[in-house]
Amino acid sequence: MRKLIAARRLSQAFFLSLFIYILWSTTYPLKGFFHPSLFFLFDPLIMIFTSLSERIVLPGLLFSFSMLVLTIILGRFFCGWICPMGTMVDMAGLPRRKSRGKRQHKKLRWVKFYLLAAFFVLALAGFQAAWFLDPVVAAARFVSLNLIPAVTSGIDAIFVSLIKTLRLYGPVYDFYRGLKSTILGINVYYFAHSPVIFLFFALIMSLTFIFSRFWCRALCPLGALYALAARFSLLRRYVTDCSQCGKCRADCRMGAINSDFSYDASECILCMDCVYGCPSKATLFRIGHPGGEAGKGGVDRRQFLLLLSSSFLLLQGFKFKNIRANASSKVIRPPAALPEADFVDRCVRCGNCMKVCITNGLQPCVFEAGAEGIWTPRLVPEIGYCEYSCTLCGNTCPTGAIKKVNLIEKHDARLGLAVIDQTLCLPWAHQQQCIVCQEHCPVAQKAIGLYEENVNGMVLHKPYIDPELCVGCGICQNKCPVRPVRAVIVKPL
Amino acid sequence: MKANIFSFLQNKKISRKDFLKFSFKTVLSFIAANALFKFFLPKAYASAGRPKRSIKGSYDLVVAKGSDPYLSTIKAVAAIGGMSRFVKKGDTVVVKPNIGWDRTPEQAGNTNPMVVAALVELCYKAGAKRVNVFDLPCNDARRCYATSGIEAAAKEKGAYVYFADKWNTLEAGFTYKSPMQGWPILRDAVECDTFINVPILKHHGLTGLTLSMKNLMGVCGGNRGSMHGDIGVKLADVADFIKPELTVIDAHRVLLRNGPTGGDLADVETRNTVIVGTDFVLADAYAAQFMGYDPMAITYIKEAAGRNLGSADIAGANITNIVV
Repeated sequence: MRKLIAARRLSQAFFLSLFIYILWSTTYPLKGFFHPSLFFLFDPLIMIFTSLSERIVLPGLLFSFSMLVLTIILGRFFCGWICPMGTMVDMAGLPRRKSRGKRQHKKLRWVKFYLLAAFFVLALAGFQAAWFLDPVVAAARFVSLNLIPAVTSGIDAIFVSLIKTLRLYGPVYDFYRGLKSTILGINVYYFAHSPVIFLFFALIMSLTFIFSRFWCRALCPLGALYALAARFSLLRRYVTDCSQCGKCRADCRMGAINSDFSYDASECILCMDCVYGCPSKATLFRIGHPGGEAGKGGVDRRQFLLLLSSSFLLLQGFKFKNIRANASSKVIRPPAALPEADFVDRCVRCGNCMKVCITNGLQPCVFEAGAEGIWTPRLVPEIGYCEYSCTLCGNTCPTGAIKKVNLIEKHDARLGLAVIDQTLCLPWAHQQQCIVCQEHCPVAQKAIGLYEENVNGMVLHKPYIDPELCVGCGICQNKCPVRPVRAVIVKPL
Repeated sequence: MKANIFSFLQNKKISRKDFLKFSFKTVLSFIAANALFKFFLPKAYASAGRPKRSIKGSYDLVVAKGSDPYLSTIKAVAAIGGMSRFVKKGDTVVVKPNIGWDRTPEQAGNTNPMVVAALVELCYKAGAKRVNVFDLPCNDARRCYATSGIEAAAKEKGAYVYFADKWNTLEAGFTYKSPMQGWPILRDAVECDTFINVPILKHHGLTGLTLSMKNLMGVCGGNRGSMHGDIGVKLADVADFIKPELTVIDAHRVLLRNGPTGGDLADVETRNTVIVGTDFVLADAYAAQFMGYDPMAITYIKEAAGRNLGSADIAGANITNIVV
């Protein structure tokens, strides 16, 4: 009977499926059973550090604190039983199960605490950098921007080639259309720079080949946060009749068992391997503090304070917030996004807005918005415009970097300003008829007007932008027939 | 002994020679399979368009007035001779409304959903095997289908309402010289027994009015923006390619300004009219006159009438007015 291991695997599978399901349903019309930001609300690293750096109180703090309280009771159950990244790391480690780390790599453990301390100090100074290594965010970005687009476009390509080649325009085509309008989604999504995002994820996965759960042991700042709480955990591992065979120590995926067969509660993720692996069936977990039996491990108070103070040095390398305070964006931000400096700090790069964007127009930046803006969303009108009556992105943002707006506010939300290039525009430059930008303009009173002019007996309609009315949604740029460079381009405000 | 080429799957060591051999064979067989596949792949062919069926109605044009779009449509189709003239038992019918924009029925950007619903119902009553309702919208298709109310109304009457795929097209072929030669046209719009064109009457910045021929832009794939140069000839060619059997112009709510999108209810006027005809040129010409435009000032009507695709002679046509 390996009940607890089965339960743990079931729980891992359940939460990973739930995670993927939530992100899969993060699309129009956003009618999944769970809110897209569910996993982020329960992520204390994101919630606490964002609240700290932005001096706000995010509603998610409540959920995150409940996770920390649970961790004080149970230990790092999140890492072993829930974390989608942890589950994927375990899956990546399956081929090399036999050679789990015989060594504890105690020194490497410190890296994650250093990172956590650095993020903490940065948050105090007003910079939210924790997103960079948060496992939930990194996993969400991979699932939303790599996995789901790859799977859906793969299925789509198979169906399209089958239908076209074998001329299956009957029931197979109907089935395909049904699939598309329900679970597959009618658009095949594409994300610029998705290879970069994939490489980041692949790197985390491949670290597992150095030793098991490398990421969780050495790097994960969320794991470090939970480790600090798990030091005090009430649920403890006991060994009643140890024969000192060392099997648990060799098998432990976290390297949490010390050479004297005590264990570090802050490193244990309750995977339950040692309970069932123990030849003399002498290991068990139960509530209650042992009298000095379990090793302390992790960080003690003095070390943590040292870490904290030394991390202040890191700040020297960063420019201060007020320098950027008035900086305008170099890219078109989503509708009703916070001002640029606040937006870059508040955004955790989870990819929800890009996943949900109805036209696929929201794309991850690499360096277009500066180095600090990596993976933040920007609107790329050539790929997709901002749908005038759509408010999905603000609804999915877990930290409020994009404000939640109603339809009236959305219609007033400005993303940029369109500019017509009269040297490219067909009526202006080539005396050809075209009013495509004007006809698509969604503003009721038309932010694009037309000058009527008689040229060679033909009425030409030359478009111009009304800056008072233009919301910068980019549909004019998206639909402009001029190639390769569009004759109307939206500039960021 | 010869090493099994799949030995790597069994976690055994594989020699460099075997590895290279295996890789080479795999790549080669992929190339061969691809070449073979391409050889047998059906070639894209130019379609000659839909055949001309010249079904005549009891009148050239029926103009029905009434505040209930559903009832007006039913009465108007009955007056022109009933749907069974156009739809035979077992037919596949396309009802092509204008679902171009993410606008509500009140904003008059899309065809009135009840007109579409009435036509779907009539087609099934006439024995149609299947009624397809689709468009290639300008805004996001899911939002347009939902906001316009057409998806719900047509589905309730049993129509297949689906999102047209831009890859599922035929190449348009013409017997005369046409700027639309080779243009991708939705296959489902061509391969059907009866095509019913259901536009909404509204303002348009370039052509003055959006009417039935302009509505056929919705079955064209490709870079549709570039169709706006010389739009009269292009729309006439597309209309000649599709040859709709029946044209039903919805003029219940009419967008007077800021078309074709609209959005401001002050730009909408209630005219409570539906125009049904077998001759799309006549229907468009009548609708233009109805809105106070000179039909010959609308490029595509002038072009189509000049090429005898239909008659724009409103005075000489047999038109009946009914009040519902």
